[in-house]
Amino acid sequence: MSAVLAKSKPEREATAQARRGLDGLNLFVANIQTGFGPFIAVYLTTQGWTQTAIGTALSLGTIAAMASQIPAGALVDAIRNKAVVAFFSILAFSASALLLAIRPTPLWVYAAEALHGFSSCTLGPAIAAMSLILVGPAMLGLRLGRNARFASIGNGVGAALMGACGYYVSEQAVFFLTAAVTLPAVVSLLPLARLREPVSAAAASRPGGHPPRAAVSALLTNRTLMIFALCAMLFTLGNSAMLPLAGNTLTKEAGNFASLLIAGCIIVPQLVVAAISPAIGQLAQRRGRRLVLLIGFCTLPVRGLLFATLDNPAALVLIQGLDGIAAACVGILVPLIASDIAGRSGRYNLSLGIIGLAIGVGATISTALAGWAADVFGTPAAYASLALVGLAALLLAAGAMPETRPPSPESEP
Amino acid sequence: MAFSTSFMRASAITSRRALAGTIGALALLLAGVAGFTVRCAAAAIITAQNQPETPAAPAPGATPKEDRPKNGSTMPENVKPLPPGDAVSVLGKKVRGANGEDLGLIVDVLVAPQGQPRAAVIDFGGFLGVGSRKIAIDWKALDFAPLVRAGTVGLGLDRAQIAAAPEYKPGPAGADVVMAPSGPSPPADTHK
Repeated sequence: MSAVLAKSKPEREATAQARRGLDGLNLFVANIQTGFGPFIAVYLTTQGWTQTAIGTALSLGTIAAMASQIPAGALVDAIRNKAVVAFFSILAFSASALLLAIRPTPLWVYAAEALHGFSSCTLGPAIAAMSLILVGPAMLGLRLGRNARFASIGNGVGAALMGACGYYVSEQAVFFLTAAVTLPAVVSLLPLARLREPVSAAAASRPGGHPPRAAVSALLTNRTLMIFALCAMLFTLGNSAMLPLAGNTLTKEAGNFASLLIAGCIIVPQLVVAAISPAIGQLAQRRGRRLVLLIGFCTLPVRGLLFATLDNPAALVLIQGLDGIAAACVGILVPLIASDIAGRSGRYNLSLGIIGLAIGVGATISTALAGWAADVFGTPAAYASLALVGLAALLLAAGAMPETRPPSPESEP
Repeated sequence: MAFSTSFMRASAITSRRALAGTIGALALLLAGVAGFTVRCAAAAIITAQNQPETPAAPAPGATPKEDRPKNGSTMPENVKPLPPGDAVSVLGKKVRGANGEDLGLIVDVLVAPQGQPRAAVIDFGGFLGVGSRKIAIDWKALDFAPLVRAGTVGLGLDRAQIAAAPEYKPGPAGADVVMAPSGPSPPADTHK
């Protein structure tokens, strides 16, 4: 980018440091998030919690995350220094991990879940916003590809590390480890501390120096944003219950190596994301978002049908590779399409919050739908119904989702 | 039939935890705080009023000397001490196989209407909480001897034998229970 080349040497060095900081931030944040997944249920069980109380705690986390998506997005929009947002979000992660480790009693666990739910909604958008500020809209596809690569390495290493820690040390130790990983995350944030949202010449002359913000109503009536949010919801609805369902099948069918194979089902997609996401980011930049969206979405019905028809344990792990392709495409496109729609309107994070809420709703219904279908009609039917929802997402994307890549000479390197 | 120790059965569908939440988790919040009492093994138990070992209510001010604990505070007459090691909590305890392999955690206890424990529900397998299954194990198949010493419960079965068992579903439909290989079979009828 010419804007970067025109800068002086110390400025270029600062930018390079900021880019490495962003790499590290993606890596460590993904690492932190591993401990907060379904593992919390295992940990609370070891603390003598009843299944009912665990269900309440996890639901509270889900509700907190969904309720805070949109307010958190608006909040991140309102704060110009996104590194400050990221810092406090990571601090909140650290606090909730320590609360879980030290005080596994209801009130504190509920507090930890609510805190984690809210700060997840501020951290994701803050990282996307810092990426946009750092490289600009034209190069965002490449940057998001790199973000996805580091995040998936963090996820994979996190799963292996936390799994080993829970097995060999103790369930409680997982949360101390999680809290410890927030330290390198904060260190990675340091070179990003000076990033500010660029202020246009018109906005600089205004008293507050803030760029004028687009109206919220314009965002809510934006047809493209709503179609994309619906696509993302349907995709997640078909996608998120597939891994737990496959894990359940493995526990039943694979005997002594089941846990290892389930670990494989979690780690294989991360390896695929790490391998392909830079290429996917480049593809989105050169050939457009629609192509990448359709590639990602078409893997879901295929995966569902393969799961429904095959039950060979090794095959299940390999099929999970398709999850990696979808995860790379969707993971890059969510912040990229939101940037196409609302990039520098001052409503970028709010639009990410809207898409995040849609994804949260999809994930919640997915578990319920798959659980019910598996109970009533059997596991293959559950896979098939998830595949059907995935097909609906694909058809909606193919039929209604327009290309959002901005027509810019900069996008062709 | 057996009764689950969880009293709020509606949301005991743990494989669908998220669903339970969307329908009124906030209402459950207070109930959850109040209901979370199962985990501590009480050092003293409250006995029923009509239990034979409870002495008849003495006249006011005439509490027998032997009922008074050493620390000076008076213990209500319907409370008797439970010596350490006489009873321990089982929820959340690890179940270990014959070769010491991890067979899961005890998440629930099914008791007969008369109060005898009939089966333990264990959360078996999985990785980082993904893919685990709930399986009911016959109470008589479990060895509670290591519980006080090591905090674990023994079970003379291997992973493959447990994996093959049908999944336990909470609810009034009853459950299939995994038995010890040579253990005595419990009576099919709960009314012995």
